[in-house]
Amino acid sequence: MIRYVLILAVIAGAIAFPHLLTSNYFIHLAILAMIWMIVAQGANVIQGYTGYVSIAQAGFMGIGAYSSALLSIEAGFPVWIAILVSPFFTAVASLIAGYPSLRVKGHYFAIVTLAMNMVIFIVLVNWIPVTGGESGLPGIPAPEPIVIGDFELNFLRRNTYYYLVLAALALVMLLVVAVVRSRVGLVLQAIRQNETLAEAAGVACWRYKLFSFVFSASLAGFAGALYAHYQAFISPAPFSVDHSLNAILAVILGGSGTLFGPLVGAALTVALPEVLRVAETYRLIIYGVGLVIVVIFLPRGLYPWLADLSRGLFGRKDGNGAEAHR
Amino acid sequence: MLVDLIQQLFNGLVIGSIYTLVALGLTIIFGILGIAHFAHGSVAMFGGYLTFFFIQSLGIGLFPSMALAMVAGALLGVILERVAYHPVRNAPPINAFIIALGLTLIIEKSNLILFGVDQVIIPTGFDRVFEIGGVTFPELRVYILVIAAVLVIALTILIQKTWMGMAVRAVAQNRPAAILMGINVDAVSMFVFGLSSALGVAAGVLVGALFAVAPGVSSGLVVKGFAVLILGGLGSIPGAIIGGLLLGVSETFATAFISSAYKDVIAFLLMIGVLLFKPEGLMRRSATR
Repeated sequence: MIRYVLILAVIAGAIAFPHLLTSNYFIHLAILAMIWMIVAQGANVIQGYTGYVSIAQAGFMGIGAYSSALLSIEAGFPVWIAILVSPFFTAVASLIAGYPSLRVKGHYFAIVTLAMNMVIFIVLVNWIPVTGGESGLPGIPAPEPIVIGDFELNFLRRNTYYYLVLAALALVMLLVVAVVRSRVGLVLQAIRQNETLAEAAGVACWRYKLFSFVFSASLAGFAGALYAHYQAFISPAPFSVDHSLNAILAVILGGSGTLFGPLVGAALTVALPEVLRVAETYRLIIYGVGLVIVVIFLPRGLYPWLADLSRGLFGRKDGNGAEAHR
Repeated sequence: MLVDLIQQLFNGLVIGSIYTLVALGLTIIFGILGIAHFAHGSVAMFGGYLTFFFIQSLGIGLFPSMALAMVAGALLGVILERVAYHPVRNAPPINAFIIALGLTLIIEKSNLILFGVDQVIIPTGFDRVFEIGGVTFPELRVYILVIAAVLVIALTILIQKTWMGMAVRAVAQNRPAAILMGINVDAVSMFVFGLSSALGVAAGVLVGALFAVAPGVSSGLVVKGFAVLILGGLGSIPGAIIGGLLLGVSETFATAFISSAYKDVIAFLLMIGVLLFKPEGLMRRSATR
């Protein structure tokens, strides 16, 4: 019960946010944070629920961003169509990439996906006639305004784009909840806990792993499209391996294999660099130390810890409230 | 054409020998502890910077500086193992991987603070160039090959012939049994980290002499190291040697004959090809045998 009240409170807070903090800077950060939440939620599906760490999420985000931008600039598609189609481009790319790499497990898989991200990055930098290389793609249009009578939703305005991304995040959350709670989701968690046993029980694990990989990549591609049409300019830089690592950190910090942990983690990975406004170099060192400390002392991540804490406060002992528990 | 081929083969072996040194450290650590030690490249760069610093400020020669840096690198490795990896040794492997990412950030940025942002080229004084039948052999590159070979042979003797090496192999083969036989696994872990880090530092120095020590080099180096591990098989020493040379040669051939911009893509395609057809790696046997 308390849980639903909390969820409603968070949603209400998110809707009220642009009216409470009217500074453009905070709204900008909130938009970026929500885009990263979508990426992190994607990483959570493959990493948290299936137990396979993919270091290619930023690369797939790049595929989504570039395909959506190119569809709207070069092919002249309406932006709405481009944003909705780009996850399918990402899905096809991840299907091709996932088939060979899912033949291996554990660290092998992580390293192969890392190489995959590097390949995507190299192509983005070097395929200059299409991607514009290092100098990037300027002039990406915002989604077309929606006019209902006298009322106009103009997506060039930050507030309006905020609500678009919020809606997209809500959609992604519903999708992920549906997948995780379905039979497929159960199989994915079975694979995480004991793949050999799942295989022995007659599950064709590779199909589920491939689905999980493609689904998580598609979410990253969707986030990439939202990012491209928000920034109006993209270059290869945000789609490098470093940012894939960021997505993994978001999942780990927040709590992997939980529905809300990645949201907390993604918000932190966007907010922390802004809060720690010391010199970039020192900030990253603090970041690294923080990471090591969290993993050693809070290995389940922040969200399960907070959930336990709140359960303690509200005196609930049944412990089946959050699916935080492995 | 034949001259070209031999020239590229030589260049590839030189680069490949450096990849081998990086991969050897990674593969021993993986074989013993099951850790993907992502910070290895940053440790290598730390050693490269340190060697440059010793040469410049202490006025001692290249080889004493390199030896000192390797000792310092070994110490750093032992500290990393004790402080960061040891506490998560019984946690899921992903935790150690995240620790490795955190360590990479810390060491990489500490390098920037300690040694500045400029790239440095380690001075060697090996400027002569030999030429045999139209193929050029720069003195420095020949020495790199020799140094790498000496280190690989020394490592093999250490692992195969000494008591400590035997303990390392025992832990790699069967950890619980090794513990029951009274092997101090903690000591073996520290030893392995020290040894691997010293090898990594050597690789960093060679990179610094051949190209440059600079911010951003380390991640490329460590990813190549992991690519070698996939080619050769995780935890396999012969695999790391063969895989490293193979990666170096295929990379220089790709650069020379196909495209320099896409050379890394070709290296990774090779890796994916190996995964498709021989996913256990080219030389996979039980770890560090």
